[in-house]
Amino acid sequence: MEPLIELKDLEYAYPYASPALSNISLCIQRGEKIALVGSNGAGKSTLLLTLNGMIRPDKGTVTFHGKPVSYDRASLRKIRQKIGFVFQDPDVQIIAPTVWQDVAFGPVNLDYSEEQVQQAVSNALHSVGLEGFEKRPPYHLSGGEKKRVAIAGILAMDPDVLILDEPTSMLDPAGSEDIMDLLDELNHQGKTIIISTHDVELAYPWADRIILMEKGRIIASGTPEEAFSDKELVRRARLKTPILLELSQELKSRGMKTPGTLPRTVLDIIRIIEHNHHGSIRLSDNGYGTIHVGDVDLISGPQIQAILARTSCDTIGVMGSRAKICARQWGLIPDISYAVIDKCILQAMNGRTSLILTTGGMVTRVFERVTLFNQTNNRSIPVRSLIGSDKPDDLSGT
Amino acid sequence: MFAHDFLEEAAQHNALLQVHPYTKLLLGIGSIILVLFTPNYIVPCFLAVTLSSVTILLAKINLKFYLKLLGIPLIFAFMSALIIIFLSEGVTKIWSIQIFPWFTLTVTEESLNHGLHIFARVFGGMCALFFISLTTPMTDLFGIMKKLKVPDLFIDLSMIIYRYIFIFMEKARQIYLAQQMRLGYTKPREALHSYSMLFGSIFITSWDAGEDLIHAMDCRCYNGKYAKMITYNPVEWRSLSAVSLYLFIIIGMILWTSG
Repeated sequence: MEPLIELKDLEYAYPYASPALSNISLCIQRGEKIALVGSNGAGKSTLLLTLNGMIRPDKGTVTFHGKPVSYDRASLRKIRQKIGFVFQDPDVQIIAPTVWQDVAFGPVNLDYSEEQVQQAVSNALHSVGLEGFEKRPPYHLSGGEKKRVAIAGILAMDPDVLILDEPTSMLDPAGSEDIMDLLDELNHQGKTIIISTHDVELAYPWADRIILMEKGRIIASGTPEEAFSDKELVRRARLKTPILLELSQELKSRGMKTPGTLPRTVLDIIRIIEHNHHGSIRLSDNGYGTIHVGDVDLISGPQIQAILARTSCDTIGVMGSRAKICARQWGLIPDISYAVIDKCILQAMNGRTSLILTTGGMVTRVFERVTLFNQTNNRSIPVRSLIGSDKPDDLSGT
Repeated sequence: MFAHDFLEEAAQHNALLQVHPYTKLLLGIGSIILVLFTPNYIVPCFLAVTLSSVTILLAKINLKFYLKLLGIPLIFAFMSALIIIFLSEGVTKIWSIQIFPWFTLTVTEESLNHGLHIFARVFGGMCALFFISLTTPMTDLFGIMKKLKVPDLFIDLSMIIYRYIFIFMEKARQIYLAQQMRLGYTKPREALHSYSMLFGSIFITSWDAGEDLIHAMDCRCYNGKYAKMITYNPVEWRSLSAVSLYLFIIIGMILWTSG
């Protein structure tokens, strides 16, 4: 498959400074979720800025869709529309006095017609979950909301690739998880996503591929498990081993049997421990808890309320921006809003019932994930679709 | 020192936000123009009282905040009025005091009327101005400018300036706090020094922010255009006719009081 973006032998130095990038070669495929990880000053931001032509490398070529990037005004505009860049500090990026105007900035400059602008802005605000914020001035928004406005401003130009420089560096942990969930959702909709970060715990479970950087060079590129398990590389990059990986290494060194694959989530670790402890299958006393999946587009607030009132759901998980808005409107307080499926499987293994609210294509993702988990682990966690129907005993349990 | 966003904040949350800005501007600007044609202090006082009631009761602006806001210009107006009352000439002497042999302060009926009139005009005008700024956020005014065919360059620039006021004020506040924590404003000399440093940093910050702005705009395919928001609720005939009626009453009062 032809790579979406290809970097070949890039070199770049800022004036009067040591090289910021040296000998960078990299292929990025369509639909990947990449995290660029490295310490401060490792060249992450510089590398990201070369991707959309903000920085012109001294040597080497950048290829997008098989064509080398040229640096005249017209081609730069084209590439910046297709490769959207979200700055670290949303205050830098948000330039207009209202949210609507800011998100409309890109589309207006791309010469969209008035209706197209309206459409692009409302779609973008919809997908980041900021409907109703149109007239708000940006200085009254919270950090997470500002970040969403910045992302919406890029999404409104309908890019293929989203680049985010340190997307969570200015957010609180809950806000970070929300943004990572949003990025997952966007990736699910087909966007290629590249982020830079030095938060290993964040990058490790999220990314498909990790690129480790040190002093302007790429020192490793591979799955998170590969990239982080080489202690020497991690030390050189001035990072630390993700806690889950460290835990599994320690378990292994104490003689616990670990499967061939390294753990990426708490669920994987629990599986290893349970496996060592009880043998292959352990059923909690009251059997597996059921995972119910509701599509917020097909079900209404009162219906959910009625179902919740009738049965006991131990956990409510919400996936995706639209589902989060609906949950808020319906007065539901979600227990989980990030890594929802895994956490619900954990609950189910413990005999607890959970409810996942989400939208459209993500419903099938829940089913796929749980089915895959059941198959690979020889389990039978029941997962059911909630249909906003008149069936009264929809949530009768197992 | 850093009360920059109070006005705008109040405007963003006022109860008349949904009323079309045309209606609000007609009332505000109409009142300011009419106040210039008033012959004495009766009509301006009436204007001040009615507009203040509208601002407080209909737009639901906090009374204490409003009085504080109004107090600042009124103190200046009061002082200027005093000077006019004591120094301008007139025929009917009411009261006078000789301070020095060559200097007498005299209050005449004419000067008193004149002073009161000017004070009342300022009072009425300020109320009208505050009515506009407390009920119509800047963002709405940009839309109106666009509708009134103000050149795009002017609107774009004012929007960028408006956006950055808040960023720089926030920066200034942070620097100011940092200086205070290191005892920057304890002595007058020190204060002067700290103050100049504050402005130096703000200058550099704004320079950086300018470069960042260009990058951010380039990243988003800037091509000389800036989106303008011009969607409002339709002009409501009820509020519009109420405003027109009010302005007609004022005109009537002006004609009546000027005899």
